Amino acid sequence: MKLVACVLLLSGFFLVLTALVLLTSIEQRSAFVVAGFAVEALGLSLLTQSYRTMRREHR
Amino acid sequence: MNLELSLFSILLVPFAAAGLALIHQGLGRSRSAAHAMLATLCALAVSAIVFVLFGSAWAGSVGAATHSFTAGGAHWDWLGAAPFFARGISFDGADAAGLSRSLVLCLELFAVGLAAIIPLSAGADRWRLGPICLSSALLGAVTFPIFAHWVWGAGWLSQLGANFGIPNFTDAGGAGAIQVVGGLTALSVAWIAGPRRGKYSDDGIPAAIPGHNIVQVLFGCLLALVGWIGLDAAASILFYGAGLQQVVGVAINAMLSASAGCLAAVSITRSRYHKPDASLSANGWIAGLVAGSASCAMISPVAAIVIGLVAGVLVTTMIEVFELRLRVDDPGGAVSVHALAAIWGLIALGLFGHFSQGTRGGHLLAQLVGISALLGFMLPLIHAGNLLLNRLSTYRVDDDGHWQGMDIRELGAGAYPEFVIHADEFVPR
Repeated sequence: MKLVACVLLLSGFFLVLTALVLLTSIEQRSAFVVAGFAVEALGLSLLTQSYRTMRREHR
Repeated sequence: MNLELSLFSILLVPFAAAGLALIHQGLGRSRSAAHAMLATLCALAVSAIVFVLFGSAWAGSVGAATHSFTAGGAHWDWLGAAPFFARGISFDGADAAGLSRSLVLCLELFAVGLAAIIPLSAGADRWRLGPICLSSALLGAVTFPIFAHWVWGAGWLSQLGANFGIPNFTDAGGAGAIQVVGGLTALSVAWIAGPRRGKYSDDGIPAAIPGHNIVQVLFGCLLALVGWIGLDAAASILFYGAGLQQVVGVAINAMLSASAGCLAAVSITRSRYHKPDASLSANGWIAGLVAGSASCAMISPVAAIVIGLVAGVLVTTMIEVFELRLRVDDPGGAVSVHALAAIWGLIALGLFGHFSQGTRGGHLLAQLVGISALLGFMLPLIHAGNLLLNRLSTYRVDDDGHWQGMDIRELGAGAYPEFVIHADEFVPR
C-alpha cells in the first residue's frame, strides 16, 4: 500500500513535468498540473490511510 | 549585491534555530527536555558537517559545475557537481565570485541546520538520538541539497523561463527548500515513530499532552523572529539580488505576517475555547513567519498581513485535523506549521507577488510546479530514506523508554532533577 502510494506521488509529479514538456498554452498546462496534483493527493491520502490502518492493527 | 548586509543577515539566522529549539523543548514533556535540546545540537552538528563535506557539492551554486541532461527539448539541470568537501570555495578573498559562493555556503549551512531541527518536534518524546543523527545526515547530504540546487543553485526549477517560457519558480526565503523539506521529514518521522504511548485510547480518542514550559515556547517565538528576518533578508540578497530598500521591506513583512498569524490563532482559539491557547498562538506566529518567507521581498505589507492571517487559520485548523482525524501525533505541530504554511506561502507568492515580468497566471503555475516537485518527488525520497534508516536503527524508543522518559533512558539523568513536577514521570510504576 505504501509502495503504491509513493508510485502515485511520483506519477503525479511526472504528469506535471510531461505537461510542461508537451503542452504550450497556459490553460492546457494548468489543467494538467491540477490533474497531477489530484494524483499526488490520492497518493498522499493512501499513504496516510496505510499508517492509520497499521496503527489500528497494532492496537 | 550588498555582501556586507548579506553577511550581517546570515549571522542572525542561528537565532531562528535557537528559537525553534526552545519551542520544541517547551512543547515536549519535562521528562524529555534535556534530550530535546541535545537532539537539537546533534541535528545541527551532523547536518552542518555532512552538508559541508557532501551536500554543498550537490547543492552547488550559480556558475558552478552541474549534472544535467537534455530531454524533450529542455535542459534539465538536476544536481550540482561541485567538488566535495567544499574544495571549490576559496576563503582568501581573491575574487568577488568566491566571496559570493562562500556566503551562499554559510547561509545554506545554517539553513540545513534549521531544516534538520524541524522534524525533532514531530518525533518528540520517542525519537531516539542515534536515528536523529542518521536522519539529519540524510537531510544534510541528500534531500536539502537536491531541492536547494533546483531552486537556488541554477537547477531546473530556476530555469523554467528559459526551458518552458513560464516564470521561474521563486522561493526568496527558503519556504520550499527549508520549511517544506523539513516539514515533510517531520511527517515521515511522525508516521514511522508512531504516536506517543498514551496519546490515543483503544477507541482512537486522543489525549491532550500539554507542553511543559510555555514561557520558553513564547520566548522562542521572539528569537525566531530575529532569525527569520536574517534568513529572509540573506536569501533575498544572495539568490534574488534584493537591495537595501527591499531588505527593509523583508523585515516589515516578516513582522506583519508573524503578527497576523499569531492574532488569527489567538482569535480562533479564544472563540473555540473561550480563552486563547498559548501553544497554538505560538504556532500561529511561526506559521506566519514561515508563510511569509517565500515572498518576503516581493509583496506589499497588506499582502503580508493577509498571508499571515491565512497561515494562522490554516495551522490552528490543520493541527487538529492531523491529531484527531489523521491520527498523526505531532507534538509541536511541525507538519502544519512548517510544511503546510510554507506551501500556502509559495502559492501566495503567485497570488500576491509583485513581478516585473510574466503574467500572474504564469507565476502561479510556476509555483504549483515547484510544490508538485516537493510533494511528488521530495516526499517519496524523504520517506524512503527514513524508512531505510529505520530498518538500520529503530526510530522509536522501546516501551521502557516510554515510561522512563527520553532523558533518563538516553542520557541517564533528567533535565530538572530537583524539580520533580509529576512524580510518575520519573519513578517507575
